[in-house]
This record gives sequence, C-alpha cells and structure tokens, in this order.
Amino acid sequence: MLLRPRVKTWRFGVAWLLVFSALFWAIGFQIATIGLAQPTTLTVLTHDSWALDKSLIAQFEAQTGIKLRFLKGGDAGAMLNKAILSKGAPIADVIYGFDNTLLSRALGAGILERYRSPALANLRSETILDLQGYATPVDYGFVALNYDKDYFRNRPLPKSLADLAKPEFAKLLVVENPATSSPGLAFLLATVAAFGEDRYLGFWEDLRKNGALVVNGWSEAYYTHFTRAGGDRPLVVSYTTSPAAELFYSEAKPRPSEPPTGNLLFPKSAFFQVEFAGILKGTKNLEAAQKFIDWLVSKPVQENIPTQMWVYPALRGAALPEIFKWAERPSEPARLFPQQIARDRDRWIKEWTQTVLQGQSPKR
Amino acid sequence: MTRWLLALPVLGFLGFALLYPLARILALGFGEGLGEAFANPYYWGRLAWSLVYGLGSSLLCVLLALPLAYAFRYRFPGRDFLLAFSTVPFVLPTIVVAIGFLSLVGPKGALGINLYGTLWMLFWASVLYNLGLVLRPLVTLLPGLELPIAAARTLGASPVRAYLRVGIPLLLPALLSGGSLVFLYSFTSFGVPLLLGGPKWGTLEVETYTALAYRLAFPEATALVLMQLAVSIPVLLFYLRLQERYSLAVGTYGEPKSLGARASRLLFVLLGMVFLLIYSPLLSLFIRAFERPSAWISVWHSEVFTPAGLALGNTLAFAGLALLLVIPLAGLYAYAVWRGNRLLDWLGLLPLMVSPVAVGLGYLLAYPRLRGSLLILITAYALLSYPLLARALLPSLRAMPRSVVEGARVLGASPWHRLWRVGWPLVQPGLRAGLALALAAVIGEFGATLVLQRPEWTTLSLAIYERLGKPGQGPFEEAIVIAVLLVLAAGSLLTVLGRYRAT
Repeated sequence: MLLRPRVKTWRFGVAWLLVFSALFWAIGFQIATIGLAQPTTLTVLTHDSWALDKSLIAQFEAQTGIKLRFLKGGDAGAMLNKAILSKGAPIADVIYGFDNTLLSRALGAGILERYRSPALANLRSETILDLQGYATPVDYGFVALNYDKDYFRNRPLPKSLADLAKPEFAKLLVVENPATSSPGLAFLLATVAAFGEDRYLGFWEDLRKNGALVVNGWSEAYYTHFTRAGGDRPLVVSYTTSPAAELFYSEAKPRPSEPPTGNLLFPKSAFFQVEFAGILKGTKNLEAAQKFIDWLVSKPVQENIPTQMWVYPALRGAALPEIFKWAERPSEPARLFPQQIARDRDRWIKEWTQTVLQGQSPKR
Repeated sequence: MTRWLLALPVLGFLGFALLYPLARILALGFGEGLGEAFANPYYWGRLAWSLVYGLGSSLLCVLLALPLAYAFRYRFPGRDFLLAFSTVPFVLPTIVVAIGFLSLVGPKGALGINLYGTLWMLFWASVLYNLGLVLRPLVTLLPGLELPIAAARTLGASPVRAYLRVGIPLLLPALLSGGSLVFLYSFTSFGVPLLLGGPKWGTLEVETYTALAYRLAFPEATALVLMQLAVSIPVLLFYLRLQERYSLAVGTYGEPKSLGARASRLLFVLLGMVFLLIYSPLLSLFIRAFERPSAWISVWHSEVFTPAGLALGNTLAFAGLALLLVIPLAGLYAYAVWRGNRLLDWLGLLPLMVSPVAVGLGYLLAYPRLRGSLLILITAYALLSYPLLARALLPSLRAMPRSVVEGARVLGASPWHRLWRVGWPLVQPGLRAGLALALAAVIGEFGATLVLQRPEWTTLSLAIYERLGKPGQGPFEEAIVIAVLLVLAAGSLLTVLGRYRAT
C-alpha cells in the first residue's frame, strides 16, 4: 500500500512528458501557421551580410502596413541556390543580394518576376546589367586587394597584379577559394579580365609557387591570416570599403586620422560587383514586393546602406558618408559580362582548382 | 510489442526531420552523372582522408580519456569544474577555435612555433573538441569497476591481469560508445581541418557542402552522401555490435573517492596542467578578450550588430525549448533500444552521419511553408543533439544489473515501481553525462546550419559570425568577447548540471 503514491508519481511524470511534447508541437504548428495567416507579411531572402537601420524598417512597416520578415540564407551564392531549389514553392517573396557573378544563373533559372521600378531611371546606368527588368540593382562595390600599412611602412608596395608573383612579395598574400567565397570568385574573375583567358592560369601558377595562401572564406582570410588580426599575411583579398570600415569600427582612442589598411587599386585588379534585388515568381504579395523594391532604392535606404553593408548606393545623388573618402573607387575596375561569367564560371573555377589547389601546371 | 510502441514517436520524428527531407534531396541526384562522380579519384582521396581523420581522432580521444577518467575517480579541488569544462569547447564555432589556435601556434603565434597546416594541429583540435564526448560518460561508469576487480584480485589475479581481463572488457561499451561518437563527429566534420590546415585537408563533408550549396550539383552530392554513409554505417554497425556483446553488468555507482589533502592537491595540479595544455588555444582567446576591456561594455548595446544580451537570451531560450524535445526523444529511444529494438539502434545515429547541408536543403523542398519557423528550428536542434543523450544513456541502461531488478521483482515491486525506484537511480549518472553533451550540442547550435536564420533570432554563435563578417578591430574584439561569453554560459550550465546530485 505504501507503494501507491510512488507509482502515481512515475505515471504522472510520463503523462506530463507526453502532454509537454504534444503541447510543444501544437505551439510549433501554431506559430508556423500564424506566419501564413497574415497576408501582409513580406518574406525577404537575403545573404548573411544583410543589415539596415532598424528604425528605417519600422518606418516602412508603419507607413505601408506590410510586415517584413527577413531570412538569411548563407552567402550570396548559397542563398540564390536555395531560391532556385525551392522554385516550385518559393520560400520568400523577395530576394536581395545576388550579384553580377550570379545574375545569369538567377535569370536562367526563371525564378524572378519581372518588375521595373519607377526609380530605375535614377540609378547609375553602369549598375543596370539586366535590361529585361527582372533584377533591380541596389548597390555596388569592388573586390580589391587590401594591404596592412604598418607592414609596408618601410617596404615597397606591389605596383601591379603581376608584381604579386615576384620573390619580394613571396608568402605575403592570402586569397579566398573562388569555389566557396564570393570575393574569391570576384578576384579570380578580375585576373581573367586583367590577363585574359590564355594567361590568367599562368599567373595563378606563379602565385601558387610564390606561396599565396588559399583559405575558404573572407572571415577566415581577414581574421586569421591577415597581419592586422595577428596573421602573417599583409596582403588580403577584401573590398575597397574595408579600410573605411576599419576606421569606422576602430576602437583606438582618439580615433586615428587614417585607416590602418589601404587599397591597392592597380588597373583591372578590382572587380566591379553589383548586388540586385528581385521578386520571386509565385509570390502572393506582388504589390507589397514591388513596394519593397521601390523602398530599397529610395534615398533614405540608399544613404543608410553604405555604413551598414559597406557598399556604394546604386542611386545617383545618394549622399555618401564622410568616412567613405577612405573607400576610393578604382578608375579602371575589372568588368566581365554576366553572360560570359555564366558561361565560363564553372570552367574557370575548375581550372583554378586544378592549378592552385591540386598543383597541376596549366595545359596551355 | 512495447519496444515498437515506444519507438514509434522516435521513428515518426526521424521520418519527419531526417528521412523524408533527405530522400527528397537524394532523389534529385539519381540518374546521369552519378556514376561519373563515383569514378572521380579526387573524391575517393577525400574519403580516405576523412576516414584517417575520423579513426585517428577517435583513437586519440579514447587513449587520452582513459587515464584522465581514472584521475577523476578521486575527489580533488576543481574536479567538477574541470569535468564540466571538457565539454565546453564543443559549443564554440570553429572559426573562433581557429583564431585561438593560430594566435597561439600559428605563423605569428605567441609560442613561436608554427603548427599551421600540420597534422599535429588538426588532431590537437579534434581532441580539444571531442575529448569530453568520451571522458564524461567514462567517468560515470568507472566506479562500477571496483567490485569486479576486487573480486578478481581476491581470486588471485595480479593487478595488471585483473585490469586487462576484467576492467577493460567492462569499460569497453563506454569506450566504444564515446569512440564512435568522436569518429562520427570528426569523420563528418566540416570546418576544423579546413580552417586549420587549408583546402588540402578538406573532408568529404566539405565536398558535399560545396557541391550542394554552391553548385547545386545533385548527382555529385548524392554520390558523396552515399559514399559517406557507405563508410560510416559499417563502422557504426561494428561499434554497436561490440558494444552490445561486451555490455556486462557493472555494479553499484558511487561518489568520487576521497584522497588525502596533499594527494588531492597534487592531483589538482597535475590535471590542471594537462587541461591547460590541451585547452591552451582557448586560453589565448581569453587573453585576447581582456586586452581591451571596452569591448565588454560595447558588446551589450551594439547598434550595428545584435547586442549580446539578446543573443544570450535567444541561445538560452532555444536551448530550453530544444531540451523539451530532446529529453523525451532520447529517453524513448534509449529505452526502446535497451528493450531490444535493433533497427532503431543504428537508425537513431543516422542524424550524425548525414551531411547537414543535404538535410537543410531537404527542409526547403519538403516543408517550404515551415521555413523560418520556430518548429523547424527546434526540430533541427533536437535532431542533432538527441543522439548524444541517448548514446550516453544506453551503456547505463545496459549495465543495469539484472539481479537487482529481479530482486525488486521478487520482493513484489510493480514494473513502474521497479523503474522508478531501481532503474531511475541507476541510470542517473549516465543521464547527467548525456544531458551535458546534448546541452552542449544545443548551445553550440549544431542544428543551426540546417535552417534559414532570422535576424531577430540571432544566437551567440551567429552573433559571432555576424561580427566576423565586417572588417575592423571593434567587431573582431566583440566577436572574441562573445565567444568567451559563450564559453562562460556553457561552462556554468554544465557545471551546475554536474553538481546536481540525486538523493
């Protein structure tokens, strides 16, 4: 008889557990369906670097009655692939952040709904790369070589891309793998633009022999191998805005008068990158999606973008913050046509992998 | 019958969270190109390296954990803390650990030796990550060894012989269980070898990830996933069989043994030094985090990035929610397997064998409406952490002496009563050890790679990545501070879990 209460405790425990997990699942489904029930929730698929002032977002929501929900889908390439994969049942209404190296893939996959924003006329013409009107340019930037000023204080800087293969710059460079990193791919494309199809692999072979270090992604290159973060490589593939960001985020008191890093802007060494937004086919919120795109290229957002995502606004006449004087734009950037990139990208990456990672000599 | 009834919720969960989404992705890859991918010698090379890395790590961890576990038999100052700490590195994002390693033994490291790209560093990192996986469950089982060894000694066996013939076989289940987990984690590891050794040390998992996430090359990805399974499943079946064969009843559990004041101090110094050596890359992180104290303040009210408070709250909230799902799942799973459900035995480990990116993309195909929902997030967390709890629970269940249970039965206790008064206390140490591992996996957000992230749900590890995505000293210092916060949060939770003593 004494045993009874104990037995009940145990049964109670089991029942409690079952009820709890049932409750958990019920709540989960509830939350999942709430998202569906509100027709005015606009889902935006972005890359991981997406950032914008929260008050701007709140303002948009208050003015239009549209609630914004952002989903981060990895870096630009991985994000676009998620949108392509879920083509039949789109996971978002709007996609933001695919660039000109991915543009043809996005257009070819047929995932975008056509929309010509009235604001298109006010955008810089060089950013409008999709003339059909599926992809709206939002911002642009340049992938470029950065150098550590401390290291090069008493040493000569390289003066051209070809210099990087010279012995005096041996083991100074860290680059990202173009197969897994968007700046890595952009830099590879810049070398194709600079050296041409027949010579770029030779240049990369020289770089390999000269001890260039390859890592998987930007964070790794910048924060584990660049000398600024305690690594042994004073040259890194990054963005032309990185020196300005370095100054902006500087913790030194008083704030230094100039950034600790600088850009190397040789002719055709900085790759021109445009980031686009587009409406995903199959959206049930077409009108809201169009409003969102218009808003992305509106002045307040465009002027907020530079210090949030460290890119230049596509809108002509959008004021740049003072600190962007350290983010010089190259006079002769490297450009390739999106169609050409779409056609040859996979081959270039493959050849690059064979030459640089697997150490084979280029066939040509 | 019961064992299938009990297994039903687990199977349902696995079907929902793993099998169906995975099947959707793999199905895309069948057809042309599959054979070509299988014929690629480059992929076979990756597979061979993954295997070497997995088996090497597993062996190394087991060899290191065994003597350490013996030291933890004794009570000494800081014992609980050190034990809890062995699981803490598990929660850290790989890039943070890489920063720690490189600032200590990198090209410009504080120690002046450059281990970057060497096997030393790769296996060291593996030990740093995985040692706790073997150590914790082992420590809970060791006390049961006393009696059998004493019996063997009484019967005239020499200490060495008693240990080799009685001790080791009794420990084998726990060694194998921990070893197989380490194997799985390092065999399928993504970031560690790549970050510390460069592209030439990429595992098969890296190739799967690149094929799927960047190229949408389904035939290749399917081939890679199948290759990976073809290796990990036999290795696991072997482990599981051994584990079953050698699971003998181990006697009572006990508290750590007391030592004299001097001896316990000596043990503390000794173990402290060993730990310091293994975990020194983390120490260099701590030093860097305190180089500029202002980051400790700015991190809480950052305007550009997610403030640490929000991220900490999210981490704890998701961890709590996930545990609600993990505990019943792992409990049912372990119980059903213990009752003899063999299918579930190896099926339950499948989450650790399959490439997360494949499952994650599978979610998008299978449940497009659930994207960005709390349900799928918690599901992903639970999927990758419940096997840890279940595997730690099993050796305890299997080692439960039949005689005690049967004795209770003879004395008239009902089945429920037997479970509550006999079974429950006996599995408690295993439960605690497993819970610690599962909690570490949840806090480390192994599941996070499976789902789309929402900015307002940014957790501590995502807050680190967020900062390491922007150039500058400020973001970098804040990232290191958050990493240290993550270590402290996980460390205190795990210490509390270890302190808790059943009465």
